[in-house]
Amino acid sequence: MGGQGEKGRQIKRLKVSSKDDFKDFGIDEDTDFADAEDSSRDGLQEGKKRDFTKLELKLDHSNRPLWACADGRIFLETFSPLYKQAYDFLIAIAEPVCRPESMHEYNLTPHSLYAAVSVGLETETIISVLNKLSKTKLPREMIDFIHGSTANYGKVKLVLKKNRYFVESPFPEVLKTLLRDGTIAGARISSDQASTLHGDAFTVSKTMGEIEGGHQELLDEVDVAAAAEEKETHSFEIDPAQVEQVKQRCLPNALNFPMLEEYDFRNDTVNPDLNMELKPHAQPRPYQEKSLSKMFGNGRARSGIIVLPCGAGKSLVGVSAACRIKKSCLCLATNAVSVDQWAFQFKLWSTIRDDQICRFTSDSKETFRGNAGVVVTTYNMVAFGGKRSEESEKIIEEIRKREWGLLLMDEVHVVPAHMFRKVLSITKSHCKLGLTATLVREDERITDLNFLIGPKLYEANWLDLVKGGFIANVQCAEVWCPMTKEFFAEYLKKENSKKKQALYVMNPNKFRACEFLIRFHEQQRGDKIIVFADNLFALTEYAMKLRKPMIYGATSHTERTRILSAFKSSPDVNTVFLSKVGDNSIDIPEANVIIQISSHAGSRRQEAQRLGRILRAKGRLQDRMAGGKEEYNAFFYSLVSTDTQEMYYSTKRQQFLIDQGYSFKIITSLPPPCSGAELGYYHLEDQLALLTKVLSAGDDAVGLEQLEEDTDDIALQKARRSVGSMSAMSGANGRVYMEYRHTSFCRTGHGKQPGQVQGKGKPKDPNKRHVLFKKRFG
Amino acid sequence: MPQVKIVPKNFMDMVAALPASKLDSLYTNTFFCEAVLRSLPPVSKMYVLRMLYIDAAVSAKLMQEWVLPDSFSKHKAAIDRLLQLRVFTESIDRKREISYRLNPKYQENLRKYLVHGGTLSREPMPSSVTVRLPTLEELDAYALQQWEVALSAPFVCLYFAGNLEKCFLLQLINSSLVERPTNFSPSMMKVFQRGLITTRDNEAPKLTENGFRFLLMETHTQLWYIMREYISTSEGRGMDTAELISFLLELSFHVTGEAYNMNTLTEVQQIAIKDLATLGLVKLQQGRKESWFIPTKLATNLSVSLSDSSSRKEGFVVVETNFRLYAYSTSKLHCEILRLFCRIEYQLPNLIVGAITKESLYTAFDNGITSEQIILFLQQHAHPRVAQKAPAVPENVTDQIRLWETDLNRVEMNLAHFYEDFPSMDIYEAACDYARELGGFLWEDSKKMRLIVRGEMHEEMKDFLRRQK
Repeated sequence: MGGQGEKGRQIKRLKVSSKDDFKDFGIDEDTDFADAEDSSRDGLQEGKKRDFTKLELKLDHSNRPLWACADGRIFLETFSPLYKQAYDFLIAIAEPVCRPESMHEYNLTPHSLYAAVSVGLETETIISVLNKLSKTKLPREMIDFIHGSTANYGKVKLVLKKNRYFVESPFPEVLKTLLRDGTIAGARISSDQASTLHGDAFTVSKTMGEIEGGHQELLDEVDVAAAAEEKETHSFEIDPAQVEQVKQRCLPNALNFPMLEEYDFRNDTVNPDLNMELKPHAQPRPYQEKSLSKMFGNGRARSGIIVLPCGAGKSLVGVSAACRIKKSCLCLATNAVSVDQWAFQFKLWSTIRDDQICRFTSDSKETFRGNAGVVVTTYNMVAFGGKRSEESEKIIEEIRKREWGLLLMDEVHVVPAHMFRKVLSITKSHCKLGLTATLVREDERITDLNFLIGPKLYEANWLDLVKGGFIANVQCAEVWCPMTKEFFAEYLKKENSKKKQALYVMNPNKFRACEFLIRFHEQQRGDKIIVFADNLFALTEYAMKLRKPMIYGATSHTERTRILSAFKSSPDVNTVFLSKVGDNSIDIPEANVIIQISSHAGSRRQEAQRLGRILRAKGRLQDRMAGGKEEYNAFFYSLVSTDTQEMYYSTKRQQFLIDQGYSFKIITSLPPPCSGAELGYYHLEDQLALLTKVLSAGDDAVGLEQLEEDTDDIALQKARRSVGSMSAMSGANGRVYMEYRHTSFCRTGHGKQPGQVQGKGKPKDPNKRHVLFKKRFG
Repeated sequence: MPQVKIVPKNFMDMVAALPASKLDSLYTNTFFCEAVLRSLPPVSKMYVLRMLYIDAAVSAKLMQEWVLPDSFSKHKAAIDRLLQLRVFTESIDRKREISYRLNPKYQENLRKYLVHGGTLSREPMPSSVTVRLPTLEELDAYALQQWEVALSAPFVCLYFAGNLEKCFLLQLINSSLVERPTNFSPSMMKVFQRGLITTRDNEAPKLTENGFRFLLMETHTQLWYIMREYISTSEGRGMDTAELISFLLELSFHVTGEAYNMNTLTEVQQIAIKDLATLGLVKLQQGRKESWFIPTKLATNLSVSLSDSSSRKEGFVVVETNFRLYAYSTSKLHCEILRLFCRIEYQLPNLIVGAITKESLYTAFDNGITSEQIILFLQQHAHPRVAQKAPAVPENVTDQIRLWETDLNRVEMNLAHFYEDFPSMDIYEAACDYARELGGFLWEDSKKMRLIVRGEMHEEMKDFLRRQK
């Protein structure tokens, strides 16, 4: 599926509802399929193929792990003895394109080099390490590119001192260059010291030069001692309101002096310390340690983004960072549920006192006592533009006034840029840490994060974490459900163009496959299952028919909590139906099976986020390791109706996970032919009744959501559709929860007995594998 | 193994096809007798050894009692094979009883072989004469290189010569050939090309479907194909087929890496050995006075059955779950072969990077390559790193390749006829009824009076409509 043919190019924005945080976070969805990386891959047509055979191989090339191409592409062998070092290095300087098992691909981009410089790597270090690792002599073009991209990097810093922003550099001529730019000159605030009208008088101060760490083991010739000298720095102050514009002007695509943001928290005597430590039982894992070391590489805190897969312990990284800085911390989450979870995580991992941590949501408006503390709130609460209650207004004012040591931002990928801007303009922080699992968006706005927060500091390799047993090893499957004749006939009709999604989601074969899988996992393996449906009509139909509880946007906070806790603790509630609300940050560690019956067009991020719901590793470590008895203990099924748009979307959606090294097994025979009336919609008349129901439902119930910015959406009418307002539907007000009655279950043709699934022996033995994944073409 | 028509299952199929007199004369060669014995299925082997010292014929009935009833099919196959190769001769007596005995010549020579062992008609030359022989590794490399040049010359050049946009490839390949010139006899070229490349008048040479398949085969299989063509055309070049076969089989009993004097060869054999050298089966060397040949692995493995994998060279292809393909190879030929079914994206000094896409596979399918051949190629050439894993090629990739192929077969084309402009509704309705009667009715549009009927009913429909007028 490595990028096939046609690309539908669509841009859309969903309505952002931000009344309060009970509503789902105004998730800014994305459907534009062509991002920079994809199109570069697709643009690689046969005629333009890159021939680098003329590069000179080094004699001992087999001992070196990578090839570097003149166009910035780097190939890395994962079986090389130097893999670990090479991986750490490449992830710092290049953008991963795909990371399957044996061979990784990376792209060297100006942004990635910016990130490299900001974690303290110097141009010459980058080139000489790369040269050491490369099997061939480095192409001239690549060396020039690195020089060209990094010549100006790392020279300018943005520093927050006593609530004032300063642009700082050891090179006064660089500052002069910057001030020649209109935007920056306009943002400058002339301070008392720089009393003259001439703009070139800078404040001069002295700081310690930094000693960089990291890749020294690969670099014997680099002189370490030389760096630790006192340097003079020059600075000027800028207007806090224009910080973002100034930063943007400094980016590689403009003035090309990207600013580094560092926080020398140890020498910050102005802001009061917050006495908190990690509890002894909080042992960061190696990759968490590594990501933190990138952030605190030189004894200061850098702003940036850390990318870890869901379930890999992002919250511990966040809490650890807060514990190191030991200053007031503002933690932003996407919704009220995750606010509770973050507050819980802080109390779990750190020694923070209960009165030092407070939640600020529309429900609970707490304030901490003392002069330092942790506030956990949502993006919406901070960015909310409307009239606030007196109480919240007070808290917001408190947040606005304070100089935060750390701004901790969860799930940065879902937050729209304008919301970020608002949040960042309200809150002043020394250091910003963004956390996410999936730094992909179908639109281009991911690059915004680069200057809004900072460069990517670290990105973990999913497969390595799977191998290490830190996250679950998920078996992914795409289940092909043929459309029934009647549904397909309606699907093809022009007048049903608005019901297409409802038709392929309600395809009876899909329903039967879903029911089959739920039964299989509930009864034979005793698993906990989440079923995802974007289409609310389908969600309710499925949940009602199968008598399972469901959660969607309109489900109240208390009800959500009740359903989730029943799902966690009750042996009778093993399946829960979730709408899009479950995509992000609802923590359901118990679940280990996901069945996706409908999804948001071609969003790679949604697919990855949903997978993330079951990534938290369960069971004992040795069982989960390769060769353990439960090597695959989590299952991700995506049900697609064949010959419909879904097939196309599904390929798109999987791209991110495939690039991370996951593979989707295609299952074509579900439910098995032997299954009969025990699964729903067996009889033609039932199917026809369902069809009538789908067709008679209003377009607003099954079809397109009313989009706010419909003018933008002319191009995507053919592809985009999503859920409608639930209030338009009857009979679905709230959750549906009923006990599930066991019925007879077809086992013939599935000769596997329940115990056998966890069978002993080598996991690669096809007979021992999960019944659904047995080799189809024996 | 894929069922490819052009590949003989083994050498012996060809031997069996020889005329009786030729075959009998071949059995005077003890090595040939042994080679035949080796090639037999286990049951046949047992029968031969059982009957080796029995001089009389054994009745078929008696032999049937040697086997359990449910293994009768194996027994039958064993006997058939022996008869095909004329190792057994069949006789029918007056009571119509069938009995078998060993071919006397075969029996005599195999007995001799058992008692005295086999001696080659030539001894390895002493190292004092040959001075320095190539090491086994050098010899393997030589053989492979010869073989690839031999292959790439007729195929790749011709294929891309016809393809304007790929002209630069031709130059690349040409220049690499100039560096290592080979003495290709035009006759050998013809042998290669037969059936694999079509040369029509005024048209650039083109690879045939078989040609594409051929390129995807294992070296061993390819060698068989070439040797078969070589042998079957030998008569035309004034060589005796039987002699050639026995020489080739004898060659396979020589020791790899040893030098054998050329003057021990007959005239025919001397011509043949030069051809074999161009293919990499032997290496020729010239001393001060004498010249000699050194058999390579390719030659000594000639009589080994196809399924034997010991001769397989190390693989070089890594296929990832994301449909990307990495080939550790410096060979232009490999690159061209991979291009048959995948999109080549990067070429590095010792690595080829490509992607298996739906489009690239559809091109391959259009050229008559099947999914099984592609998968087999990927599996057989898997890099040792991934070859140890349970599926060397990720399952999702193989599944997808197969599914893409079956996708192509979902639509079946059937001839049908479309009728319109009926003079009246009555005739139209009658025609519809008649079509239904025939069982060929497919579709109607009564408003516009249109009708579609199965193609095979067209004649009847025509007759019917004529009668209506």
